[in-house]
Amino acid sequence: MSAVLKITRAGPLTSIQDLGRFGMLRHGISASGPMDRMAYLAAGQLAGGGQGGLEFTMAGLELTLASGRCRVGFSGGNFVIRRNGQALAWDGTAELNPGDTLAITPGAWGNYGYLRFDGDIAVPPMMGSIATSSRAGLGGLDGRALRVGDVIELSGSGGAPSLPLIAERQTGPIRVIWGIHADLFAPNIRQRFLDVSFSISSRLDRMGVRLEDRAEVFAHSSNLSLVSNAIVPGDIQILGDGTPIVLMRDHQPTGGYPRIATVITADLDRFAQLRPGSAVAFQPVTLEHAQALLRGRP
Amino acid sequence: MPVSATFPKPTIMPLGDSAVLVRFGTSLSDAANRATIALAALLDAAPIAGVVEIMPNLVSLLLRYDPLLTAPASIEGELRLRLFGLDEAAEASQRWSIPVSFDGPDLDEVAAALGISTAAFVTAHNANPLRVLATGFAPGFVYCGLHDGLVLPRRQELRASVPAGSVLFAAGQTAITATAMPTGWHVIGRTSFNNFDPTAHPPTQLSAGDRITFTVAP
Repeated sequence: MSAVLKITRAGPLTSIQDLGRFGMLRHGISASGPMDRMAYLAAGQLAGGGQGGLEFTMAGLELTLASGRCRVGFSGGNFVIRRNGQALAWDGTAELNPGDTLAITPGAWGNYGYLRFDGDIAVPPMMGSIATSSRAGLGGLDGRALRVGDVIELSGSGGAPSLPLIAERQTGPIRVIWGIHADLFAPNIRQRFLDVSFSISSRLDRMGVRLEDRAEVFAHSSNLSLVSNAIVPGDIQILGDGTPIVLMRDHQPTGGYPRIATVITADLDRFAQLRPGSAVAFQPVTLEHAQALLRGRP
Repeated sequence: MPVSATFPKPTIMPLGDSAVLVRFGTSLSDAANRATIALAALLDAAPIAGVVEIMPNLVSLLLRYDPLLTAPASIEGELRLRLFGLDEAAEASQRWSIPVSFDGPDLDEVAAALGISTAAFVTAHNANPLRVLATGFAPGFVYCGLHDGLVLPRRQELRASVPAGSVLFAAGQTAITATAMPTGWHVIGRTSFNNFDPTAHPPTQLSAGDRITFTVAP
């Protein structure tokens, strides 16, 4: 089986992703991979699990099947998807024939959605992965975001589609583990960090999400300069001007600003889907609790 | 004398729910950096089950693990066993000679700030081999140090972008870029040595602990 897709409309942050390029931190490359990992996996199950997928944003995506046939699975935040103008149920799956178009526009919630196919996305792997790193400018299609006119080939055939277990979306505070520099923040600042509500700013991308700190929890923190340490996705770093930033999949590998907490793995997908303007509160949990939440997940 | 005689005692702490950080200090020191590199060499030679990646930095080391395969308590136990053996750990040490064209826009200013001539600065800069203190800040980027006596703070202003192969100087260190990036360090020169090839395995050549002799490019 093979098929050829042609991108006819793409938001600026549309990219090819797989689960990530792991093991390259020493070489200065963070793993990348889907901003909403569980949704990426769900779309893959719906499609029948070919390698890689397309990650798109609220800016939407439109493509045409130029030749061949394929099955596509879609999941993520809430989006409106149309095949040849006809709305399909989201999340879901569809068969595409030559000339068919898929048009995706934002729905009620979420920042990221995924299209996956029964064939593999045929781009050359870079260091064992086809994930696009917006930071390092590698992977995917020439290391860049997808744009109008791009042609993507699908090759081989995946397995049989299956119905994914789509866990009910959690709501409530984003759970964190205290960070490696939590002790550098005064007890009253740490308490305020938990008590107030922050909001997601419009400055967000695959590298990080800046928060608005209207309560000015960190507005008067001294501009600490620390020796740099490794960063992991979910780290909440307080920049020199007091802006909190949550580092995401294309994070810098190391950083020298103080980190008060780290978003737990089980809540990072949900955090990534919070739109600009959303309120966000943080709640500390134990490491044991955070890890217990990971058992039984794919 | 084993280098361990001067190794600081590490702090072991969780970093999120899937990594542990072993920190030998909260500021850059020769001893903390050597301990970090020695531990990385030990862990490369004798990996801990369930640990999927290690990343040594200036004074700390990240161990990323699979929380479904192991628990932080057992990683800590294994780490303690290895930390006992830090005595005998040989530091990885390949030797490299890297030619530099000393023609950077900040070179004269750097020499003047140090109160020496530009020629004297270049001679002093290249006098002793430097150790690769850390990698990982960006693809192929290396920090080398520590310079004895040649210490300047960073520039007041950030340069929006310097090209790959820039040779940077600040805080008693020389750094080499392998990709274009913004920097607040002084640009003292450039090198044709390319430490990042995304199609090569591995994609970078220089490792923490390697010894680098800088030379004046012909």
